[in-house]
Amino acid sequence: MIDIFIILYSMTLIYFALAERVSKYVILLFIQGVLLFCVLFFSLYKIEIFDFIFILLETILVKAIILPWFMNKVRRQNQLKRENDTYIPVFYSIIIVVICLLVSFFLSSKLQDTQIHSKYFTVAFASVIFGIYFIIIHRNIFSHVVGYLIIENGIFLISLALGSKMPMMVNLAVLLDVLMGVLVLGIFVNRIGNTFESVEIGHLTQLKD
Amino acid sequence: MEVLSIFLILLTALLIPGITGMTKAKIAGRKMPSVFQPIKDIIRLFKKGAIYSTSTSFIYKVAPLVYLSSVSVSILFLSVGSKISLISFHGDFLLFAYLLAIGKFFMIISAMDTGSSFEGMGANREALYSMLVEPAFFIIIASLALFTDYTSLNELFSNMHISSNFSYVIGIAASYVLLNTAMTENSRMPVDDPKTHLELTMIHEVMILDNSGFDLAIIHISSWLKFSIYGTLISKFIIVTTLPFYIQAVYFIIIQMILAIVIGFLESFRARNKMEKNPQWIIMLSAIAIVAFLSTLIISQKIILN
Repeated sequence: MIDIFIILYSMTLIYFALAERVSKYVILLFIQGVLLFCVLFFSLYKIEIFDFIFILLETILVKAIILPWFMNKVRRQNQLKRENDTYIPVFYSIIIVVICLLVSFFLSSKLQDTQIHSKYFTVAFASVIFGIYFIIIHRNIFSHVVGYLIIENGIFLISLALGSKMPMMVNLAVLLDVLMGVLVLGIFVNRIGNTFESVEIGHLTQLKD
Repeated sequence: MEVLSIFLILLTALLIPGITGMTKAKIAGRKMPSVFQPIKDIIRLFKKGAIYSTSTSFIYKVAPLVYLSSVSVSILFLSVGSKISLISFHGDFLLFAYLLAIGKFFMIISAMDTGSSFEGMGANREALYSMLVEPAFFIIIASLALFTDYTSLNELFSNMHISSNFSYVIGIAASYVLLNTAMTENSRMPVDDPKTHLELTMIHEVMILDNSGFDLAIIHISSWLKFSIYGTLISKFIIVTTLPFYIQAVYFIIIQMILAIVIGFLESFRARNKMEKNPQWIIMLSAIAIVAFLSTLIISQKIILN
Protein backbone atom coordinates (compact mmCIF):
# COMPACT_ATOMS: atom_id res chain seq x y z
CA MET A 1 0.00 0.00 0.00
CA ILE A 2 2.77 2.44 0.92
CA ASP A 3 4.47 1.71 -2.41
CA ILE A 4 1.50 3.05 -4.34
CA PHE A 5 1.52 6.35 -2.47
CA ILE A 6 5.27 6.71 -2.86
CA ILE A 7 4.96 6.08 -6.62
CA LEU A 8 2.18 8.65 -6.82
CA TYR A 9 4.32 11.08 -4.84
CA SER A 10 7.16 10.71 -7.33
CA MET A 11 4.68 11.32 -10.14
CA THR A 12 3.64 14.60 -8.54
CA LEU A 13 7.29 15.65 -8.85
CA ILE A 14 7.07 15.07 -12.61
CA TYR A 15 3.88 17.10 -12.76
CA PHE A 16 5.61 19.90 -10.83
CA ALA A 17 8.14 20.01 -13.64
CA LEU A 18 5.40 19.90 -16.27
CA ALA A 19 2.94 22.38 -14.77
CA GLU A 20 3.21 25.95 -15.94
CA ARG A 21 0.28 27.56 -14.20
CA VAL A 22 0.80 28.91 -10.72
CA SER A 23 -2.57 27.61 -9.54
CA LYS A 24 -1.53 24.07 -10.45
CA TYR A 25 1.37 24.28 -7.99
CA VAL A 26 -1.06 24.87 -5.16
CA ILE A 27 -3.20 21.91 -6.22
CA LEU A 28 -0.11 19.71 -6.45
CA LEU A 29 1.00 20.82 -2.98
CA PHE A 30 -2.41 19.80 -1.67
CA ILE A 31 -2.09 16.39 -3.39
CA GLN A 32 1.37 15.92 -1.92
CA GLY A 33 0.01 16.71 1.53
CA VAL A 34 -2.74 14.11 1.16
CA LEU A 35 -0.27 11.52 -0.16
CA LEU A 36 2.09 12.14 2.76
CA PHE A 37 -0.85 11.72 5.11
CA CYS A 38 -1.64 8.35 3.49
CA VAL A 39 2.00 7.23 3.70
CA LEU A 40 2.06 8.12 7.39
CA PHE A 41 -1.22 6.39 8.02
CA PHE A 42 0.07 3.10 6.66
CA SER A 43 3.61 3.25 8.03
CA LEU A 44 3.32 4.58 11.58
CA TYR A 45 0.59 2.36 13.00
CA LYS A 46 3.03 0.79 15.48
CA ILE A 47 3.54 3.88 17.63
CA GLU A 48 1.32 5.03 20.48
CA ILE A 49 -2.20 5.99 19.57
CA PHE A 50 -1.98 9.54 20.91
CA ASP A 51 1.22 10.32 18.99
CA PHE A 52 -0.24 8.69 15.93
CA ILE A 53 -3.38 10.82 15.92
CA PHE A 54 -1.38 13.94 16.68
CA ILE A 55 1.03 13.41 13.79
CA LEU A 56 -1.75 12.55 11.37
CA LEU A 57 -3.81 15.60 12.30
CA GLU A 58 -0.82 17.85 12.10
CA THR A 59 0.12 16.49 8.66
CA ILE A 60 -3.29 16.77 7.11
CA LEU A 61 -4.04 20.14 8.69
CA VAL A 62 -0.80 21.90 7.97
CA LYS A 63 0.39 20.26 4.77
CA ALA A 64 -2.85 19.66 2.98
CA ILE A 65 -5.06 22.49 4.22
CA ILE A 66 -3.36 25.47 5.86
CA LEU A 67 -0.32 25.84 3.58
CA PRO A 68 -2.19 25.45 0.25
CA TRP A 69 -4.93 27.77 1.51
CA PHE A 70 -2.39 30.36 2.53
CA MET A 71 -0.51 30.04 -0.77
CA ASN A 72 -3.76 30.46 -2.66
CA LYS A 73 -4.56 33.56 -0.66
CA VAL A 74 -1.15 35.07 -1.38
CA ARG A 75 -1.59 34.19 -5.06
CA ARG A 76 -4.98 35.91 -5.21
CA GLN A 77 -3.85 39.00 -3.30
CA ASN A 78 -0.91 39.62 -5.55
CA GLN A 79 -2.77 38.84 -8.75
CA LEU A 80 0.07 36.77 -10.09
CA LYS A 81 0.37 36.02 -13.76
CA ARG A 82 -1.34 32.73 -14.53
CA GLU A 83 1.56 31.46 -16.59
CA ASN A 84 4.85 31.12 -14.84
CA ASP A 85 8.12 31.86 -16.59
CA THR A 86 11.19 29.76 -16.01
CA TYR A 87 14.83 30.14 -16.98
CA ILE A 88 14.94 26.64 -18.45
CA PRO A 89 12.39 25.14 -20.90
CA VAL A 90 9.99 22.64 -19.36
CA PHE A 91 11.20 19.93 -21.73
CA TYR A 92 14.62 19.88 -20.04
CA SER A 93 13.08 20.19 -16.58
CA ILE A 94 11.22 16.91 -17.13
CA ILE A 95 14.40 15.18 -18.21
CA ILE A 96 16.16 16.60 -15.15
CA VAL A 97 13.47 15.43 -12.73
CA VAL A 98 13.79 11.94 -14.20
CA ILE A 99 17.56 12.13 -13.72
CA CYS A 100 16.96 13.23 -10.10
CA LEU A 101 14.79 10.18 -9.54
CA LEU A 102 17.28 7.84 -11.20
CA VAL A 103 20.25 9.23 -9.26
CA SER A 104 18.51 8.98 -5.92
CA PHE A 105 17.27 5.50 -6.82
CA PHE A 106 20.76 4.21 -7.51
CA LEU A 107 22.16 6.07 -4.53
CA SER A 108 19.69 4.42 -2.19
CA SER A 109 20.27 1.01 -3.77
CA LYS A 110 23.96 1.46 -2.94
CA LEU A 111 23.16 2.48 0.63
CA GLN A 112 22.64 -0.92 2.16
CA ASP A 113 22.05 0.43 5.64
CA THR A 114 19.62 -1.36 7.90
CA GLN A 115 18.77 1.88 9.72
CA ILE A 116 17.40 3.54 6.59
CA HIS A 117 14.19 2.64 4.81
CA SER A 118 15.52 3.16 1.32
CA LYS A 119 12.08 3.23 -0.32
CA TYR A 120 11.29 6.47 1.43
CA PHE A 121 14.82 7.67 1.02
CA THR A 122 14.67 7.38 -2.80
CA VAL A 123 11.72 9.68 -3.17
CA ALA A 124 12.76 11.93 -0.31
CA PHE A 125 16.20 12.58 -1.75
CA ALA A 126 14.79 13.17 -5.23
CA SER A 127 12.27 15.56 -3.72
CA VAL A 128 14.96 17.57 -1.95
CA ILE A 129 17.15 17.82 -5.07
CA PHE A 130 14.17 18.70 -7.22
CA GLY A 131 13.00 21.35 -4.75
CA ILE A 132 16.37 23.08 -4.99
CA TYR A 133 16.27 22.83 -8.79
CA PHE A 134 12.73 24.19 -8.76
CA ILE A 135 13.88 27.25 -6.82
CA ILE A 136 16.81 27.82 -9.17
CA ILE A 137 14.82 27.79 -12.40
CA HIS A 138 11.95 30.08 -11.42
CA ARG A 139 11.96 33.86 -11.65
CA ASN A 140 8.95 34.31 -9.45
CA ILE A 141 9.24 34.48 -5.67
CA PHE A 142 5.95 32.67 -5.19
CA SER A 143 7.45 29.65 -6.96
CA HIS A 144 10.45 29.88 -4.65
CA VAL A 145 8.10 29.37 -1.73
CA VAL A 146 6.62 26.36 -3.55
CA GLY A 147 10.11 24.94 -4.06
CA TYR A 148 10.78 25.47 -0.37
CA LEU A 149 7.68 23.46 0.47
CA ILE A 150 8.73 20.65 -1.89
CA ILE A 151 12.05 20.45 -0.03
CA GLU A 152 10.13 20.42 3.24
CA ASN A 153 8.02 17.48 2.07
CA GLY A 154 11.23 15.71 1.11
CA ILE A 155 12.70 16.29 4.56
CA PHE A 156 9.51 14.99 6.08
CA LEU A 157 9.93 11.75 4.09
CA ILE A 158 13.59 11.52 5.12
CA SER A 159 12.51 11.73 8.76
CA LEU A 160 10.25 8.76 8.03
CA ALA A 161 13.11 6.94 6.33
CA LEU A 162 15.31 7.24 9.41
CA GLY A 163 13.19 5.08 11.65
CA SER A 164 9.74 5.20 13.08
CA LYS A 165 10.60 6.53 16.57
CA MET A 166 11.96 9.94 15.79
CA PRO A 167 9.75 11.47 13.11
CA MET A 168 7.60 13.29 15.57
CA MET A 169 10.40 15.45 16.96
CA VAL A 170 12.10 16.02 13.61
CA ASN A 171 8.82 16.73 12.00
CA LEU A 172 7.62 19.20 14.57
CA ALA A 173 10.85 21.14 14.45
CA VAL A 174 10.90 21.27 10.66
CA LEU A 175 7.24 22.07 10.44
CA LEU A 176 7.48 25.01 12.79
CA ASP A 177 10.41 26.42 10.85
CA VAL A 178 8.63 26.02 7.58
CA LEU A 179 5.37 27.45 8.79
CA MET A 180 7.16 30.53 10.07
CA GLY A 181 9.22 30.68 6.88
CA VAL A 182 6.18 30.54 4.68
CA LEU A 183 4.36 33.14 6.74
CA VAL A 184 7.35 35.48 6.57
CA LEU A 185 7.77 34.83 2.86
CA GLY A 186 4.05 35.43 2.34
CA ILE A 187 4.38 38.87 3.92
CA PHE A 188 7.53 39.38 1.87
CA VAL A 189 5.71 38.44 -1.33
CA ASN A 190 2.91 40.83 -0.46
CA ARG A 191 5.41 43.61 0.18
CA ILE A 192 7.23 43.03 -3.09
CA GLY A 193 3.88 42.91 -4.82
CA ASN A 194 2.84 46.23 -3.24
CA THR A 195 6.10 47.94 -4.07
CA PHE A 196 6.70 46.75 -7.62
CA GLU A 197 3.29 45.48 -8.71
CA SER A 198 4.91 42.21 -9.73
CA VAL A 199 6.65 39.44 -7.83
CA GLU A 200 9.67 38.91 -10.07
CA ILE A 201 12.84 38.84 -8.00
CA GLY A 202 14.72 40.70 -10.73
CA HIS A 203 13.15 43.90 -9.40
CA LEU A 204 14.90 43.50 -6.07
CA THR A 205 18.20 44.65 -7.63
CA GLN A 206 16.70 48.12 -8.05
CA LEU A 207 16.22 48.62 -4.33
CA LYS A 208 18.14 51.52 -2.77
CA ASP A 209 18.30 53.06 0.69
CA MET B 1 -9.73 -20.22 -32.22
CA GLU B 2 -6.87 -17.78 -32.61
CA VAL B 3 -8.74 -16.33 -35.55
CA LEU B 4 -11.63 -15.51 -33.24
CA SER B 5 -9.58 -13.03 -31.24
CA ILE B 6 -8.44 -11.31 -34.43
CA PHE B 7 -12.05 -11.15 -35.52
CA LEU B 8 -12.94 -9.50 -32.20
CA ILE B 9 -10.15 -6.94 -32.60
CA LEU B 10 -11.33 -6.08 -36.11
CA LEU B 11 -14.95 -5.86 -34.98
CA THR B 12 -14.16 -3.42 -32.19
CA ALA B 13 -11.95 -1.43 -34.57
CA LEU B 14 -15.05 -0.82 -36.69
CA LEU B 15 -17.11 0.30 -33.69
CA ILE B 16 -14.60 2.54 -31.85
CA PRO B 17 -14.76 5.61 -34.17
CA GLY B 18 -18.56 5.49 -34.27
CA ILE B 19 -18.89 5.39 -30.51
CA THR B 20 -16.32 8.16 -30.09
CA GLY B 21 -18.28 10.28 -32.53
CA MET B 22 -21.53 9.56 -30.69
CA THR B 23 -19.98 10.53 -27.34
CA LYS B 24 -18.62 13.76 -28.73
CA ALA B 25 -21.97 14.65 -30.30
CA LYS B 26 -23.85 13.90 -27.08
CA ILE B 27 -21.49 16.07 -25.01
CA ALA B 28 -21.66 18.92 -27.51
CA GLY B 29 -25.47 18.74 -27.43
CA ARG B 30 -25.81 17.71 -31.07
CA LYS B 31 -27.99 14.95 -32.43
CA MET B 32 -26.06 11.71 -32.22
CA PRO B 33 -24.92 10.21 -35.51
CA SER B 34 -25.37 6.49 -36.11
CA VAL B 35 -22.64 4.12 -34.88
CA PHE B 36 -22.11 3.15 -38.49
CA GLN B 37 -21.65 6.70 -39.78
CA PRO B 38 -17.82 6.41 -40.08
CA ILE B 39 -18.26 3.10 -41.92
CA LYS B 40 -20.72 4.72 -44.33
CA ASP B 41 -18.20 7.50 -44.93
CA ILE B 42 -15.54 4.93 -45.68
CA ILE B 43 -17.82 3.10 -48.14
CA ARG B 44 -18.49 6.40 -49.88
CA LEU B 45 -14.73 6.97 -50.15
CA PHE B 46 -14.18 3.45 -51.47
CA LYS B 47 -16.61 4.12 -54.32
CA LYS B 48 -14.48 7.01 -55.52
CA GLY B 49 -11.28 6.53 -57.44
CA ALA B 50 -7.94 7.93 -56.34
CA ILE B 51 -6.38 10.93 -58.03
CA TYR B 52 -2.59 11.16 -58.18
CA SER B 53 -0.64 14.32 -58.77
CA THR B 54 1.80 14.20 -61.69
CA SER B 55 4.65 15.33 -59.45
CA THR B 56 4.44 12.27 -57.21
CA SER B 57 6.33 9.00 -57.58
CA PHE B 58 5.37 5.39 -56.84
CA ILE B 59 6.06 5.91 -53.10
CA TYR B 60 3.02 8.08 -52.85
CA LYS B 61 0.86 5.36 -54.39
CA VAL B 62 2.28 2.53 -52.33
CA ALA B 63 2.41 4.27 -48.93
CA PRO B 64 -1.24 3.89 -47.84
CA LEU B 65 -1.13 0.19 -48.66
CA VAL B 66 2.11 -0.28 -46.73
CA TYR B 67 0.54 1.59 -43.82
CA LEU B 68 -2.54 -0.65 -43.80
CA SER B 69 -0.57 -3.86 -44.23
CA SER B 70 1.96 -3.03 -41.50
CA VAL B 71 -0.82 -2.23 -39.07
CA SER B 72 -2.72 -5.40 -40.03
CA VAL B 73 0.34 -7.59 -39.58
CA SER B 74 1.00 -6.12 -36.16
CA ILE B 75 -2.52 -7.19 -35.16
CA LEU B 76 -1.38 -10.80 -35.61
CA PHE B 77 0.91 -10.34 -32.61
CA LEU B 78 -2.04 -9.60 -30.37
CA SER B 79 -4.77 -11.74 -28.90
CA VAL B 80 -7.82 -11.37 -26.71
CA GLY B 81 -7.59 -12.47 -23.09
CA SER B 82 -5.89 -15.81 -22.53
CA LYS B 83 -5.83 -16.80 -26.22
CA ILE B 84 -2.47 -17.27 -27.95
CA SER B 85 -1.67 -14.90 -30.77
CA LEU B 86 -0.94 -16.15 -34.30
CA ILE B 87 2.67 -14.98 -34.36
CA SER B 88 4.76 -15.17 -31.23
CA PHE B 89 8.48 -15.47 -30.50
CA HIS B 90 11.01 -14.09 -28.04
CA GLY B 91 11.30 -10.35 -28.30
CA ASP B 92 8.35 -10.00 -30.65
CA PHE B 93 7.34 -6.67 -29.12
CA LEU B 94 10.29 -5.09 -30.94
CA LEU B 95 8.95 -6.25 -34.29
CA PHE B 96 5.46 -5.23 -33.23
CA ALA B 97 6.55 -1.68 -32.40
CA TYR B 98 8.68 -1.27 -35.49
CA LEU B 99 6.02 -2.66 -37.82
CA LEU B 100 3.83 0.20 -36.64
CA ALA B 101 6.82 2.49 -37.18
CA ILE B 102 7.35 1.26 -40.76
CA GLY B 103 3.82 2.23 -41.67
CA LYS B 104 4.33 5.63 -40.15
CA PHE B 105 7.68 6.02 -41.93
CA PHE B 106 6.05 5.36 -45.29
CA MET B 107 3.32 7.89 -44.56
CA ILE B 108 6.01 10.43 -43.72
CA ILE B 109 8.01 9.89 -46.90
CA SER B 110 4.86 9.88 -49.01
CA ALA B 111 3.98 13.26 -47.51
CA MET B 112 7.46 14.49 -48.41
CA ASP B 113 7.01 12.99 -51.88
CA THR B 114 4.16 15.33 -52.79
CA GLY B 115 6.52 18.29 -52.54
CA SER B 116 3.92 20.37 -50.72
CA SER B 117 5.43 22.60 -48.04
CA PHE B 118 2.43 22.06 -45.76
CA GLU B 119 2.80 18.31 -45.93
CA GLY B 120 6.53 18.51 -45.32
CA MET B 121 5.80 20.49 -42.15
CA GLY B 122 3.25 17.91 -41.00
CA ALA B 123 5.68 15.08 -41.73
CA ASN B 124 8.33 16.85 -39.71
CA ARG B 125 6.04 17.13 -36.69
CA GLU B 126 4.75 13.59 -36.96
CA ALA B 127 8.31 12.25 -37.06
CA LEU B 128 9.29 14.28 -33.99
CA TYR B 129 6.28 13.21 -31.93
CA SER B 130 6.53 9.53 -32.82
CA MET B 131 10.21 9.64 -31.91
CA LEU B 132 9.40 11.18 -28.53
CA VAL B 133 6.60 8.77 -27.73
CA GLU B 134 8.58 5.64 -28.62
CA PRO B 135 10.59 5.32 -25.36
CA ALA B 136 7.38 5.36 -23.29
CA PHE B 137 6.07 2.20 -24.97
CA PHE B 138 9.38 0.37 -24.71
CA ILE B 139 9.94 1.29 -21.07
CA ILE B 140 6.48 0.03 -20.16
CA ILE B 141 7.07 -3.28 -21.98
CA ALA B 142 10.53 -3.50 -20.41
CA SER B 143 9.09 -3.11 -16.93
CA LEU B 144 6.60 -5.88 -17.73
CA ALA B 145 9.45 -8.05 -18.93
CA LEU B 146 11.33 -7.38 -15.71
CA PHE B 147 8.26 -8.19 -13.69
CA THR B 148 7.49 -11.51 -15.41
CA ASP B 149 10.92 -12.62 -16.73
CA TYR B 150 9.50 -13.34 -20.19
CA THR B 151 10.09 -11.58 -23.47
CA SER B 152 7.22 -12.34 -25.84
CA LEU B 153 3.96 -10.41 -25.76
CA ASN B 154 1.90 -13.55 -25.10
CA GLU B 155 3.94 -14.74 -22.16
CA LEU B 156 4.32 -11.23 -20.75
CA PHE B 157 0.62 -10.76 -20.38
CA SER B 158 -0.34 -14.30 -19.47
CA ASN B 159 2.15 -14.38 -16.57
CA MET B 160 1.52 -10.90 -15.34
CA HIS B 161 -1.22 -11.47 -12.80
CA ILE B 162 0.24 -14.67 -11.37
CA SER B 163 3.11 -13.50 -9.19
CA SER B 164 1.51 -10.76 -7.09
CA ASN B 165 -1.13 -8.09 -6.80
CA PHE B 166 1.39 -5.43 -7.64
CA SER B 167 0.72 -6.12 -11.30
CA TYR B 168 -2.29 -3.83 -10.92
CA VAL B 169 -0.04 -0.94 -9.90
CA ILE B 170 1.94 -1.40 -13.09
CA GLY B 171 -1.30 -1.98 -14.97
CA ILE B 172 -2.72 1.40 -13.96
CA ALA B 173 0.43 3.28 -14.91
CA ALA B 174 0.74 1.30 -18.15
CA SER B 175 -2.89 1.90 -19.10
CA TYR B 176 -2.48 5.63 -18.56
CA VAL B 177 0.70 5.74 -20.63
CA LEU B 178 -0.71 3.51 -23.40
CA LEU B 179 -3.94 5.53 -23.64
CA ASN B 180 -2.00 8.74 -24.09
CA THR B 181 0.41 7.01 -26.47
CA ALA B 182 -2.58 5.97 -28.56
CA MET B 183 -3.82 9.56 -28.59
CA THR B 184 -0.39 10.78 -29.68
CA GLU B 185 0.19 8.09 -32.30
CA ASN B 186 -3.22 8.67 -33.83
CA SER B 187 -2.79 12.45 -33.62
CA ARG B 188 -5.83 13.03 -31.43
CA MET B 189 -6.73 15.73 -28.99
CA PRO B 190 -4.04 16.91 -26.62
CA VAL B 191 -1.40 16.74 -29.34
CA ASP B 192 -3.39 17.36 -32.49
CA ASP B 193 -6.97 18.28 -33.26
CA PRO B 194 -8.50 16.11 -36.00
CA LYS B 195 -11.24 18.70 -36.54
CA THR B 196 -8.94 21.66 -37.16
CA HIS B 197 -9.27 23.51 -40.45
CA LEU B 198 -5.99 25.38 -40.47
CA GLU B 199 -3.12 23.60 -42.18
CA LEU B 200 -0.54 25.36 -40.01
CA THR B 201 -1.82 23.69 -36.83
CA MET B 202 -2.44 20.23 -38.27
CA ILE B 203 -0.16 17.26 -37.86
CA HIS B 204 -1.68 14.10 -39.23
CA GLU B 205 -4.40 15.71 -41.33
CA VAL B 206 -1.96 17.89 -43.19
CA MET B 207 0.08 14.83 -44.19
CA ILE B 208 -2.87 13.27 -45.97
CA LEU B 209 -4.17 16.42 -47.66
CA ASP B 210 -3.37 15.12 -51.14
CA ASN B 211 -4.70 11.62 -50.60
CA SER B 212 -8.17 11.07 -51.94
CA GLY B 213 -10.83 8.41 -52.40
CA PHE B 214 -9.57 4.89 -52.00
CA ASP B 215 -6.22 5.85 -50.42
CA LEU B 216 -7.86 8.15 -47.89
CA ALA B 217 -10.25 5.37 -46.90
CA ILE B 218 -7.34 3.00 -46.34
CA ILE B 219 -5.54 5.55 -44.18
CA HIS B 220 -8.65 6.09 -42.05
CA ILE B 221 -9.11 2.34 -41.59
CA SER B 222 -5.48 1.99 -40.51
CA SER B 223 -5.89 4.63 -37.84
CA TRP B 224 -9.02 2.83 -36.54
CA LEU B 225 -7.05 -0.38 -36.37
CA LYS B 226 -4.34 1.41 -34.44
CA PHE B 227 -6.82 2.54 -31.81
CA SER B 228 -8.05 -1.02 -31.55
CA ILE B 229 -4.47 -2.28 -31.16
CA TYR B 230 -3.78 0.05 -28.25
CA GLY B 231 -7.15 -0.80 -26.75
CA THR B 232 -6.26 -4.50 -26.94
CA LEU B 233 -2.97 -3.82 -25.17
CA ILE B 234 -4.80 -1.93 -22.41
CA SER B 235 -7.42 -4.68 -22.09
CA LYS B 236 -4.63 -7.22 -21.60
CA PHE B 237 -3.70 -5.45 -18.36
CA ILE B 238 -7.24 -5.64 -17.05
CA ILE B 239 -8.78 -8.96 -18.16
CA VAL B 240 -8.39 -11.79 -15.67
CA THR B 241 -7.10 -14.76 -17.66
CA THR B 242 -8.58 -17.53 -15.51
CA LEU B 243 -12.18 -16.84 -16.58
CA PRO B 244 -13.82 -18.78 -19.44
CA PHE B 245 -13.19 -17.34 -22.88
CA TYR B 246 -16.68 -16.06 -23.70
CA ILE B 247 -16.65 -13.91 -20.54
CA GLN B 248 -13.21 -12.62 -21.50
CA ALA B 249 -14.54 -11.74 -24.93
CA VAL B 250 -17.43 -9.80 -23.39
CA TYR B 251 -14.97 -8.03 -21.09
CA PHE B 252 -12.81 -7.23 -24.09
CA ILE B 253 -15.65 -5.64 -26.02
CA ILE B 254 -16.78 -3.65 -22.96
CA ILE B 255 -13.24 -2.38 -22.37
CA GLN B 256 -12.88 -1.29 -25.98
CA MET B 257 -16.21 0.52 -25.84
CA ILE B 258 -15.21 2.24 -22.58
CA LEU B 259 -11.97 3.24 -24.26
CA ALA B 260 -13.92 4.78 -27.14
CA ILE B 261 -16.11 6.71 -24.70
CA VAL B 262 -13.06 7.87 -22.73
CA ILE B 263 -11.48 9.11 -25.96
CA GLY B 264 -14.69 10.98 -26.74
CA PHE B 265 -14.65 12.57 -23.28
CA LEU B 266 -10.97 13.51 -23.50
CA GLU B 267 -11.49 15.08 -26.89
CA SER B 268 -14.51 17.05 -25.73
CA PHE B 269 -13.09 18.45 -22.52
CA ARG B 270 -9.44 18.91 -23.36
CA ALA B 271 -8.03 21.79 -25.33
CA ARG B 272 -5.32 21.16 -27.83
CA ASN B 273 -1.82 21.90 -26.54
CA LYS B 274 0.13 24.78 -27.96
CA MET B 275 2.38 23.33 -30.65
CA GLU B 276 5.54 24.24 -28.73
CA LYS B 277 4.24 22.51 -25.60
CA ASN B 278 3.66 19.17 -27.30
CA PRO B 279 7.21 17.78 -26.90
CA GLN B 280 7.24 18.34 -23.15
CA TRP B 281 3.81 16.78 -22.79
CA ILE B 282 4.93 13.70 -24.72
CA ILE B 283 8.23 13.34 -22.87
CA MET B 284 6.16 13.40 -19.65
CA LEU B 285 4.73 10.02 -20.71
CA SER B 286 8.24 8.59 -20.83
CA ALA B 287 8.97 10.10 -17.42
CA ILE B 288 5.94 8.35 -15.93
CA ALA B 289 6.98 5.14 -17.66
CA ILE B 290 10.40 5.43 -16.01
CA VAL B 291 8.77 5.84 -12.60
CA ALA B 292 6.76 2.68 -13.32
CA PHE B 293 9.98 0.96 -14.36
CA LEU B 294 11.79 1.93 -11.17
CA SER B 295 8.89 0.80 -9.02
CA THR B 296 8.90 -2.52 -10.88
CA LEU B 297 12.57 -2.86 -10.06
CA ILE B 298 11.73 -2.41 -6.38
CA ILE B 299 8.60 -4.56 -6.38
CA SER B 300 10.14 -7.49 -8.24
CA GLN B 301 13.18 -7.19 -5.93
CA LYS B 302 15.70 -7.01 -8.76
CA ILE B 303 17.17 -4.22 -6.69
CA ILE B 304 16.50 -4.79 -3.04
CA LEU B 305 15.50 -1.78 -1.01
CA ASN B 306 14.50 -2.22 2.58
